[in-house]
Amino acid sequence: MAYDKPLPNPDEQTQPFFDALQNHKLLLQYFPSADHYQFPFSDRCYKDWSTDWEWRESTGSGEVYSWVRMHQLYHPSWQAEIPYTLAVVQLDEGPRMNTNLVNVEPDDIVVGMRVQVLFDDVTDEFTLPKFEPA
Amino acid sequence: MSDPIRGQTAICGLGITEMGKVYGHDASWFAGEAIRLAVEDAGLQKDDLDGLLINPGITGMMGTGISIPLQNYLGLRNLRLLNHMNSFGATASAMVHFAAMAVHHGMANYVACVFSDAPLQQGGSAGAAYGGAGRRGPTGMASLMPAFGFYGANTSYALAARRYMEQYGITNNDLGRVSVTQRRYAVDNPHATMRQPLTLEDYHNSRWIVDPFHLLDCCLVSNGAVCTIVTTAERAKDLPSSPAYIWGMGQGHPGNLPHAEVETYTTSGASIAGETAYKMAGVGPEDVDICEFYDCYTYTVLRTIEDYGLAKPGEAIGLYPEDPSDPEADLPLINTGGGQLSSYYMWGMTPISEGVIQARGSGGERQVEQHDIVLCSGNGGTLDTHGTLILSPNAN
Repeated sequence: MAYDKPLPNPDEQTQPFFDALQNHKLLLQYFPSADHYQFPFSDRCYKDWSTDWEWRESTGSGEVYSWVRMHQLYHPSWQAEIPYTLAVVQLDEGPRMNTNLVNVEPDDIVVGMRVQVLFDDVTDEFTLPKFEPA
Repeated sequence: MSDPIRGQTAICGLGITEMGKVYGHDASWFAGEAIRLAVEDAGLQKDDLDGLLINPGITGMMGTGISIPLQNYLGLRNLRLLNHMNSFGATASAMVHFAAMAVHHGMANYVACVFSDAPLQQGGSAGAAYGGAGRRGPTGMASLMPAFGFYGANTSYALAARRYMEQYGITNNDLGRVSVTQRRYAVDNPHATMRQPLTLEDYHNSRWIVDPFHLLDCCLVSNGAVCTIVTTAERAKDLPSSPAYIWGMGQGHPGNLPHAEVETYTTSGASIAGETAYKMAGVGPEDVDICEFYDCYTYTVLRTIEDYGLAKPGEAIGLYPEDPSDPEADLPLINTGGGQLSSYYMWGMTPISEGVIQARGSGGERQVEQHDIVLCSGNGGTLDTHGTLILSPNAN
């Protein structure tokens, strides 16, 4: 069955991030003047307001900052998945990102557990950075 | 030392419309009703109003909320103060803060602060009203949210609650104790939408929305409006209504930066806002008689209790009885009208409206005997914004 869930909608600034995902790389913005990794995308560093930055590849390693099990259906394409696990992962570089936690039973999830990025090629055009136990 | 503005301003009028699944009217109509009721309650005339502060709710995000045109809709020709304000759930407090400062300094005499919302449509669900259904899809990195299946405020508050629960060993049954307590208060509140008593079993049996939240952890969505009128203490004394004097005001807005350097889910702006308001009022947590706290979710109440210094971290639940449905159980004096969970969801005006009712001693069956110091909170975003108001029936 064709993938029918909502897909990312890159804009000009974030296209490189989504392109890299297809190559199984997770990129973060790095602002050298503040030695700061930032996510999600912004054209300005919120620490020192610098606008000079570069893309850097993340290790994809981090820990669960929090997690929940979604039971409510907001979009019909999730019907077969419910309940599914949503998480906030704190990457070792510092930024936290929202994601799906996969390959783990809910009873085994705890805040602080180590996780690693898993690149899920959901369509030919899009790859989602999900996480699984490290 | 208390501040020179302490007790110098007051809420002299309160208007609460019919609440809940009230169909056939838009947000302007509800706002007009609330302002009319508040002016009448204060013993004022329409032309006395010279200030109008406006806060739309969910309909503001949908594009059909109240805004500056409300002035002409109501034919207000004497305004010396006018603004459309939004710091989400902290706005109601902020409107009263700015109104109090304005009347204290002579910029206006009677300022109407109004919140109005009409997101519920006949046949539609509350989740549809607040889940973002029908809005244009996000672009850029924000588009990852629906791609992962993140929807609505329920998810972000559930994430916040889970982190707190795991940190302190708080259970779903504990969250249920908050929910059942507030319902017991709502039973005695004629303005409340949900007035059927609840048990902990009912709580556990209510469907999961996003685990750790059951349906009964989540606030209502309501059509309706609330208006408060702010004036000076001196003017309030000459009016027929009993004033709720404003003793303390404070705001705290920590924002929500997703980075290891910033703890977000187990902190709120209440600690900063509360400290500011306590200092202005010359009181501390030990002096508070009644709390009216913003309760978009059960967890928000526990968070707020701790951040105002009313319990140690992780110990807020200790203020609640093991089984609040037991008629012998003593309930904490928190959200005495049922709150947003059980009475009505008017953003920050839910706690303020009940705070004014309690401070004035007009709570009927649910009136708290000792009501000298009433602490009200407003909270917005995911614990990003916060406003505090300390009310009293006494000028000093």
